[in-house]
Amino acid sequence: MNNDESLRKLVHDARAPLNRISMNAELVKLVLENDMPKQKALDALDKIIANCQQCSEQLQLISDTHASE
Amino acid sequence: MLNVLLVDDDSEFSDVVCHIVEFLGHNINTAANLAEAEQWFENNTFDHVFLDFMLPDGSGLHLLEHLKKIGQSPRVTLISGHPSVKGKLAEMCEANVGHLVKPLQREDIERVLNPKKASDKKKSAPSIKRHFGTLIGESEVMKKLYTMIERVAATSANVMLMGESGAGKEVVAQAIHNATECDGPLVATNCGAFSKELIGSELFGHEKGAFTGAIARKEGVFEQAAGGTLFLDEVTEMPIDMQPNLLRVLESKKVTRVGGTKEQAVNCRVISATNRTLTDLAQNNVIREDIYFRLAVFPIDIPPLRERKEDIPLLANAFLEQLNEENGTDFKWQASQLKELEAHDWPGNVRELRHAIHRAFIMSDPKGTAIVLPESLESPFSKVNKETQNNQVMAGQTIEEVEKELIHATLDKVQGNKTIAAQMLGISTKTLYNRLNAYGGIGEYK
Repeated sequence: MNNDESLRKLVHDARAPLNRISMNAELVKLVLENDMPKQKALDALDKIIANCQQCSEQLQLISDTHASE
Repeated sequence: MLNVLLVDDDSEFSDVVCHIVEFLGHNINTAANLAEAEQWFENNTFDHVFLDFMLPDGSGLHLLEHLKKIGQSPRVTLISGHPSVKGKLAEMCEANVGHLVKPLQREDIERVLNPKKASDKKKSAPSIKRHFGTLIGESEVMKKLYTMIERVAATSANVMLMGESGAGKEVVAQAIHNATECDGPLVATNCGAFSKELIGSELFGHEKGAFTGAIARKEGVFEQAAGGTLFLDEVTEMPIDMQPNLLRVLESKKVTRVGGTKEQAVNCRVISATNRTLTDLAQNNVIREDIYFRLAVFPIDIPPLRERKEDIPLLANAFLEQLNEENGTDFKWQASQLKELEAHDWPGNVRELRHAIHRAFIMSDPKGTAIVLPESLESPFSKVNKETQNNQVMAGQTIEEVEKELIHATLDKVQGNKTIAAQMLGISTKTLYNRLNAYGGIGEYK
């Protein structure tokens, strides 16, 4: 895998947690707008926090890989 | 309510999409890879598929190929993690395939599942009334049509729509379906588009292995339209030897898939359509009498546009409004242009009017607000039809009248050259001159 391809793969992998963050945030909005059970929103917020952590790790990996090249 | 399939290997993302799609009022199932997705399609049909571009066992495009093979055509939204792929996807995508780039938002999902509803939110309310959500027109003939739709919608009777090409048979079918307020979908199929071998499978479905190429079980349109409406367009173009099978389904209200043994109950209204006249149907043996009476429990004649010319300005405004909304333009009609449209005969009916307006829309300067109509509104088809109609011999004409028309048509064809015209007519030039003198038309061809 050349450098460009490797970078593209890393960015792609970083976008996956972002995608989960986006959809979980949408779910929290739905819960709040429609007076749905609070627990659903709390679960979604936990997932957002976990995915933020994952995204951060992924960005660090990109940074490390880029620095080593 | 739509049946949705989400194909994505990210289970957390799938879970949250399920919550959102269910909240939007649709059914959703998930598959984590291509194999699971193909398995879902063995026994089910879906209205919409969200399809990840990169799956563990291949590309989402492989599922598109598979759907083509098994003859299913749900609307598909490809989901990609690479914005750079978006352009390529757009080039590859067919009419029923859209694409979204991650990260997704709820609005994206809402828009692709219900494009009409989502776009309505942004638009101002349309100024022209659409009866039953589809039909435009306030003329007397249309009001009669609305009454008929209301009456038949309250029953479960089969309807046969008759009308010239372009008069809006499919739109009327949609109007009847909307007025019925049933739970099932409107499923449309064109009986003239299938070969004798395929039409049985299209209408009644088939079992896996029923014939070469039947690699999976397929629901026919009768089953797909359960609880709703089945629209059989160009029903009179169906091969006559397939019609007894259709009659059996209409009479027994049960359908058996090709190659199958189990009967399935049918509970949909059948709306059929033809552009043939009643005389044509009776004379040319295109539809069996018994099927006609089953299908045309309630026949409805859709008036041609020339019989409701007062609706032309309404239609023209509605079409232009729609084009403006789709393209972000602000074109407006001038009163004289609407009069010009109203004066035309529109032999191709509403379809021809819509086409002419679209053509004018493309030709007009998008920076301005003035729409430019072409010099001639006639389409090549209407010209040919007019010539054919003009050259038709009608019962009740005298031989002298027909002879005069023939001579004039021949002279028109050869730009007034009497020698060539006489040769074509099989008479001497002298006789031609004598006839023209007698009919008083010689001056036109000097």
